Amino acid sequence: MSLAADAFVSQMAAAEPWPESATLYQPLKEDQILLSECASSLAVQAYLRMCGLPVQVVCKANAEYMSPSGKIPFIHVGNQVVSELGPIVQFTKAKGHSLSEGLDDIQRAEMKAYMELVNNMLLTAELYIQWCDDGTAAEITRPRYSSPYSWPLSTILAYQKQWEVRRKMNAIGWGGKNLEQVYEDVSQCCQALSQRLGTQPFFFNKQPTELDALVFGHLFTILTTRLTSTELAERVRGYGNLLSFCRRIEQTYFEDRTS
Amino acid sequence: MAAAMELRCWGGDWGLPSVHNESLVVLAYAKFSGAKVNISPIDWTWKTLTATVPELVCGDTSVKEPSQILNFLRKQRFNADYELSARQGADTMAYIALLEEKLQPALLHTFWLDAENYANLTRPWFASHSPFPLNFLVPSRHANSARSRILLTRGEAPLCRITEVEGKLYSDAKECLNLLSYRLGEANYFFGNLPTSLDAFVFGFVAPLHKAHLRNSPLQSHLRKLENLTRFCDNILADYFSSAQPGLPPSVQETMDANLQKLTQLVNKESNLIEKMDDNLRSSPQHKLHRPQPKPGLVIEKSSTPA
Repeated sequence: MSLAADAFVSQMAAAEPWPESATLYQPLKEDQILLSECASSLAVQAYLRMCGLPVQVVCKANAEYMSPSGKIPFIHVGNQVVSELGPIVQFTKAKGHSLSEGLDDIQRAEMKAYMELVNNMLLTAELYIQWCDDGTAAEITRPRYSSPYSWPLSTILAYQKQWEVRRKMNAIGWGGKNLEQVYEDVSQCCQALSQRLGTQPFFFNKQPTELDALVFGHLFTILTTRLTSTELAERVRGYGNLLSFCRRIEQTYFEDRTS
Repeated sequence: MAAAMELRCWGGDWGLPSVHNESLVVLAYAKFSGAKVNISPIDWTWKTLTATVPELVCGDTSVKEPSQILNFLRKQRFNADYELSARQGADTMAYIALLEEKLQPALLHTFWLDAENYANLTRPWFASHSPFPLNFLVPSRHANSARSRILLTRGEAPLCRITEVEGKLYSDAKECLNLLSYRLGEANYFFGNLPTSLDAFVFGFVAPLHKAHLRNSPLQSHLRKLENLTRFCDNILADYFSSAQPGLPPSVQETMDANLQKLTQLVNKESNLIEKMDDNLRSSPQHKLHRPQPKPGLVIEKSSTPA
């Protein structure tokens, strides 16, 4: 999206309040959605719940092709469609809902830096395990990804996606890594997040921010998703304060609504 | 004693020890940690095509990628992050991720994909530093890998063109520079008074943008406005890379000077004390018969005289 269009969207957004009919689109929850997509979607849902903005989750088999950027998830609010956490945060800010308003410049720098750490390490590791580990790709990822389509389209689309992700891994220098090194990176990232969180309830003490939503989305999904091996979840489970952080956000923002 | 370490990297120009971001990161870290590495520039050799730069060769092991090289140096006990707390170590990782995700793509675009900069600065430089048949090949190879990296990591739809992501690329990079500037504030380095690996990364990424004579770069003019970041680069260049002081960094030099001064003071005090004792001894009755000798000039001679 160009900058002019961005500016236009935020101006338009400011004009209207948040409608009741806002919807969030993601792939089918039971048979299709992948680990990385589920994590990103959960992060956005957590963010919107922290802001107190109601959104209805809709599962569509072709969500990836409906999204303006080709990425999951995206929200449909009024007559606008916005995808991914970063732009969604900007969009809600234009509507007057923001979680990071109370932070000073240095804290905001820190928040952005840790968000990039999660994207750089956890998201990339999820993609690597899904598509570049042959066992996981053959047993879980390709069958799930192609589940809505019939043969031969299913095979073609799955291998096309796998090829695309592998090219991306090569471009950022992850192509030469093995699984053990990727797990090691995940551990390092969790170690850093755990150190940063310390004994505080949220990353910036009392108030949740978009960083908390992002970390929750990824860690909770890693902890609750069954893969071919439990190694990834085990790596996260080693950090007690991150586990209680996930439980706290789940209880505060997700349980009271479902019950 | 470890074997001699050899660092292969692109050579320097524009007042920098290397024009290549990643090479510069490793060079700066080696200076900060006091590691002695032999620098062998790959300019004008066939390695311009074959080598992955930067590469650290130590005995028969070779390490690539800046973060791996830094880890290797830490294992060799060249650790510039020794004094950081665990929380600061976590911050270091986060800011390095920020640099890689937000600033690096825009830098690749500025140097390799912006038509004017590429034709007037980057291509001539890399072509003139490669041996004859390779000078036609090396620059375009770099430019292609930069293009595919940006498209694969930032491109939204599979078939999108580079112009569609440019705006977002530069606004992200400007925001990243602003955030670094806020974080640095008025301090000399990111964590206290000594440079650490985060300083090496920031220097490596920002210094070429600061020093290169780019024809057209909104990012460079934005950086010029952030005075503390440019001062940060200039200070590191002056303190660690100026040819006037090839040996020790100034902070070490200063502490050495201070130690020397303390030592001199101590020696003076002691010599005064010895002189007094000597005088007392001389004025004591059993020495009355001796005629007073002229005082010897050196302290050591005095202490060696039997009292």
